[in-house]
Amino acid sequence: MPKNEFEFCSQTNARSALRDGEMGRRDLLFRFGSGLGAIALTDVLRRDGQLRSAEALSSNPLAPKPPHFAPRAKACIFLFMAGAPSQMDTFDPKPALHRYHGKPVTRIYGSYEKRLYVESPFKFARYGQSGTAVSEIFPQLANCVDEMAILRSLHTSVEAHTTATFFMNTGEAIPGSPSLGSWVIYGLGSENENLPAYVVLPDERGGVFGGAMNWSNAYLPAATQGTLMNPVGPPIVDLQPGYQITRRQQRDNLRLLNQLNERYLASNERNQNLLGRMRNYELAFRMQDTVPEALDVSRETAMTRQLYGLDDAVTQPMGRKCLMARRMVERGVRFLQIYCRGWDSHENIASEHRNRGAEIDRPVAGLIQDLRQRGMLDETLIVWCGEFGRTADNSMNFFRSNPGRDHNKEAMVCWLAGGGVKGGTIVGSTDELGKKAVENVYHTHDLHATILHLMGLSDMDLTYYHGGRFKRLTDLGGRTIDEIIA
Amino acid sequence: MTVLQCLEEWCRVTVGRRGADYRVLPRLRAAALWSLGSIVVAVGSLLTSMVLSPAAAVAADRDDSAERQDQWPWAPLTRPQVPTYNGSDDRHPIDLFLQTRLRAAGLKPSALAPPRTWLRRIAFGLTGLPPRPEILEQFVEDPSESAYHAQIERLLNDPAYGERWGRHWLDLVRYADTRGGALDYARPHMWRYRDYVVRAFNQDRPYDRFIREQLAADAYGKYGTEGKLGLAFLHQWVPVERDAPQLNRRDFLNDVVGVTGSVFLGVTLRCARCHDHKFDPLPTRDYYRLEAFFAPLQVSVSSLPFGQYEVPLQQPEIWGERSGKWTEVLDQRKQTQDVKLAAFKARLRERRKLAASGDLKDLVVDVTDAELRATMEEGVVFTPEERQSYELIRRQTARFANPNHRDYFSARAYTASDSPLRYSVATHILSGGNYELREELVEPGFLSAIQGHADPVSFKGVSGPRRKLLAEWIASANNPLTARVMVNRIWQYHFGKGLVATSSDFGKNGSQTEYRDLLDWLAVEFIESGWSIKHLQRTILKSDLYRQSMNHSDRDACEKVDPQNKLLWTRDAIRLEAEVIRDSVLAVSGRLNRVMGGPPFFPDVDDELMQRAPTWWEPSPRVARERRTIYMLQIRSLQMPFIKVFDGPNIDESCPVREVTTVTPQVFALFNSRFLREQSEAMAARLVSEVGADLTQQVRRAFQLAFQRVPAAEELDRCRLFLEKPEKRVAATGAAESKPHGSLADLCLVLLNSNEFIFLD
Repeated sequence: MPKNEFEFCSQTNARSALRDGEMGRRDLLFRFGSGLGAIALTDVLRRDGQLRSAEALSSNPLAPKPPHFAPRAKACIFLFMAGAPSQMDTFDPKPALHRYHGKPVTRIYGSYEKRLYVESPFKFARYGQSGTAVSEIFPQLANCVDEMAILRSLHTSVEAHTTATFFMNTGEAIPGSPSLGSWVIYGLGSENENLPAYVVLPDERGGVFGGAMNWSNAYLPAATQGTLMNPVGPPIVDLQPGYQITRRQQRDNLRLLNQLNERYLASNERNQNLLGRMRNYELAFRMQDTVPEALDVSRETAMTRQLYGLDDAVTQPMGRKCLMARRMVERGVRFLQIYCRGWDSHENIASEHRNRGAEIDRPVAGLIQDLRQRGMLDETLIVWCGEFGRTADNSMNFFRSNPGRDHNKEAMVCWLAGGGVKGGTIVGSTDELGKKAVENVYHTHDLHATILHLMGLSDMDLTYYHGGRFKRLTDLGGRTIDEIIA
Repeated sequence: MTVLQCLEEWCRVTVGRRGADYRVLPRLRAAALWSLGSIVVAVGSLLTSMVLSPAAAVAADRDDSAERQDQWPWAPLTRPQVPTYNGSDDRHPIDLFLQTRLRAAGLKPSALAPPRTWLRRIAFGLTGLPPRPEILEQFVEDPSESAYHAQIERLLNDPAYGERWGRHWLDLVRYADTRGGALDYARPHMWRYRDYVVRAFNQDRPYDRFIREQLAADAYGKYGTEGKLGLAFLHQWVPVERDAPQLNRRDFLNDVVGVTGSVFLGVTLRCARCHDHKFDPLPTRDYYRLEAFFAPLQVSVSSLPFGQYEVPLQQPEIWGERSGKWTEVLDQRKQTQDVKLAAFKARLRERRKLAASGDLKDLVVDVTDAELRATMEEGVVFTPEERQSYELIRRQTARFANPNHRDYFSARAYTASDSPLRYSVATHILSGGNYELREELVEPGFLSAIQGHADPVSFKGVSGPRRKLLAEWIASANNPLTARVMVNRIWQYHFGKGLVATSSDFGKNGSQTEYRDLLDWLAVEFIESGWSIKHLQRTILKSDLYRQSMNHSDRDACEKVDPQNKLLWTRDAIRLEAEVIRDSVLAVSGRLNRVMGGPPFFPDVDDELMQRAPTWWEPSPRVARERRTIYMLQIRSLQMPFIKVFDGPNIDESCPVREVTTVTPQVFALFNSRFLREQSEAMAARLVSEVGADLTQQVRRAFQLAFQRVPAAEELDRCRLFLEKPEKRVAATGAAESKPHGSLADLCLVLLNSNEFIFLD
């Protein structure tokens, strides 16, 4: 049955029927977000008879939850190309631009600079059994096209970096909505007890447009928020003690703390947060070792490290993050986001995009190959995209020397690979010059719906009551992109 | 079928126009069918009712509007009858309401908590700081009724009271020292508003005046400079980078209307911006009628001399010294930066000369900032150290989120006025909230759900800004919402949960309450006391309900009837807020600096975090950093990790209720951070200086400071053992079995991490 507006009505009814229990349960969700120790904590509680098991499960926002239907992917690695890569210079060749190169654009996009068409400075060739055309900036990635489904007809709603980054991450242009990853964790819970369920690896060169709001839980339980892990240096604030202390002393302190806490617990039985806090101390103590271990890429073989490009200064930063991502997926982290910034080529696209391509080509291709070799690719979804696309013309008057491209929300390119994705497919197309998506057009909300779908969640059913109505990632709902689903 | 196609086309056009777009297109057929169906049903029922009983239809309509005006909380506020209990009414009215309701449900309230628990509750509740052990001892020795009252008075008059309650208000108005959004510029004068709020609470400024000052002080000359400081309330919105300039103004108006609705009136007005409110009697028209009051509003930074209560006039010497020092620091920094930049540019210029050929050498023009930056990024010409020092300069002079501002000490403030063009500013209803789709014109008006406000207001004989009428209406004793909402907030801050748990949403979808009559009684009491918040608090704090213990003799039975304690049969534990935890750590370590007011202090941020920030600042000296958290710099885009991890407010939005989460990173903040270790060491030093080297005395004093009680024998033994030198740690075998051992600072750290320190029972 197609999704339709009627579902609003049915949910409103469900809501009023549930209203009495609803607030209480949510209250518990908030107050009992016991962080990463979900499963173990539940066990403790059950063993101690403190809580009925069902209650314990429902009150823990990170307890694993059944998906809406059988998932195709268990984990997702979202590669965010911040600044927005150009479609006609990567995966959507537009040979027609050659004819128009240097000719003025008749339409004025709200600015009065002289705009001239720019052909792609890159050569395209066909690769793989599918014969997919890929730009020369991705020589290694091109060999993986048979694993990839390329979506050429994606578009979005806004075309300023911050708002569009919010939109790609949260489905809203203004900050304050939960991110895709938070929704996934809210829907599925966590599969591990030693690491956060949702990890963000930022670009070492600087922040993300809009900052932490992009991996925020907003109104969802706080335990679903993304944990920012710095890929160089200490990954989490104060993960290691900021002063001289031995592990042994820490353990001694912890033991005394537990003795005091146990005594207090006995006199305050109604307060369920007390146990949660005690458990967190033990977990945090363990995380001091498990997090550095999970991020320690030096434990990998030389061959693996080479596969990800760790031997080259150019590919090393992205390679490290990709390798860290694989290690974390192995350890049960469910949602990872990796940022690579610098795609905002208003000028000099020929060298800028080539440099960016060089930075990510080997690492991302390595990630796909490595996951395939280890048999993990079928359960891991990889998404590659930016916040919007770019125009077919130069952005300002940089034409003579080194032309670039402006922001464009009407067309962008994105690819998916891995769990549940039909490799070697191309979906939709843009117009002759790549200015606008025209055939099988999909919106960012549709991409979100598809990602949720592949992870076993229905975007229409994944709702949270907030601010007077049921909210969802895709607002009024998205369409799943059926063409790319295997 | 043609009808269906027409409908489909119509849907396509309207829906498309309203920006909801293409996504709905596949579902349009279904929607069209549905519309057709509903039209048939609607026409059918209309015909039926017209045929059957035209009069009945009209009557039903009238009934509907009458009914919603009678509905709580829209209905007028009257003082309800206080019930009697066992035929007597000599108990506290709050307790009479409670007893009656509980008896009806077959429940009994918990017994009274011991005096220590009560004093801790009001100390944290009123000042956000633990009580001093000496005061507690004295009180526990003679807990007479008058001693209870004396403690309430003492704490209400403590200046820390304003800091605690001011912080609650700042949560609601989403106070910050920067603008937020992508362009997070500084708002360097905002501290004057923060101090104004703290003073307002300390002086027990009548709440109605507090409202009028914040919404429209420019209309009330009698409130003077002090009142004008309140106008910064209108200046808290977060600008977002927008494609169309008109949208910025829309964002501003949306924000101001939404916040006014939720903070003062407890209604979710924002819902009504795009469509009639789904659950509450708030038509879209009401939203735009309220917006019309703000339509001519212009906010600005303008000069406003310091008032008599403000820091500069209260402590002129300290002020002059601080101001001078700050200018000096900035000047010195500027000088160093200039020298370095000039040297870099000179070097670059020299290189250019070498590269240029013969005659052209002297033609080489000056190096621009952009060129220097590009060269630095290339990383060829300059050494890594030079690049680092250049990077530091760039972050020191960053445009965004940069607190290194010259203007903290200048006598300027955020004020508001109505544009002189106010008579020509028209407000239209916007279809679907879309600024391009203007519909009918609206006049300023109040919420139509409240009796007597169906029509727009008249401005006859009113001079000054439009907002004046709105402020008068909100701050009026006849407004049924204002007092109810504020009373509920105060209740919430004392009990951890409001009578209406969703304290900014009194609508149908809010959590409602079991105690409407109690809330109404308190609201009337509040108004009749001259809107005195302190009077209201005295009333609440003197009740037995506030003294209720957390332990109930028959908990299981009560939980069966009312598992969520909606009827208040027991007391729920409170997890201290982020600021209270930090302030209490400082108080217990003895380091808390009680200096009030003035520009914010700059916190000491983890080096790694500072590396990743777009900006750089030098932390204030330690003594300044050990002031209360309310005085800490608040950058919207860089919330301090300690505050954030303990559920600090989302600074972008009005925060009516702090969440309480128990997440693992909280452990790192308390167990691993440098701040906690420093304070534990300070506390250890304090213990030694107060009680000497005797371990038993140290442990006793440590428990007194941290928990305001003496340790039980078992605890004393454990802790003393912990501190004693282990006689023989068996190195080879059984090391794991040895008793835990640590220094006095370790013990202090453990106490500051314990559940008893973080939770208030």
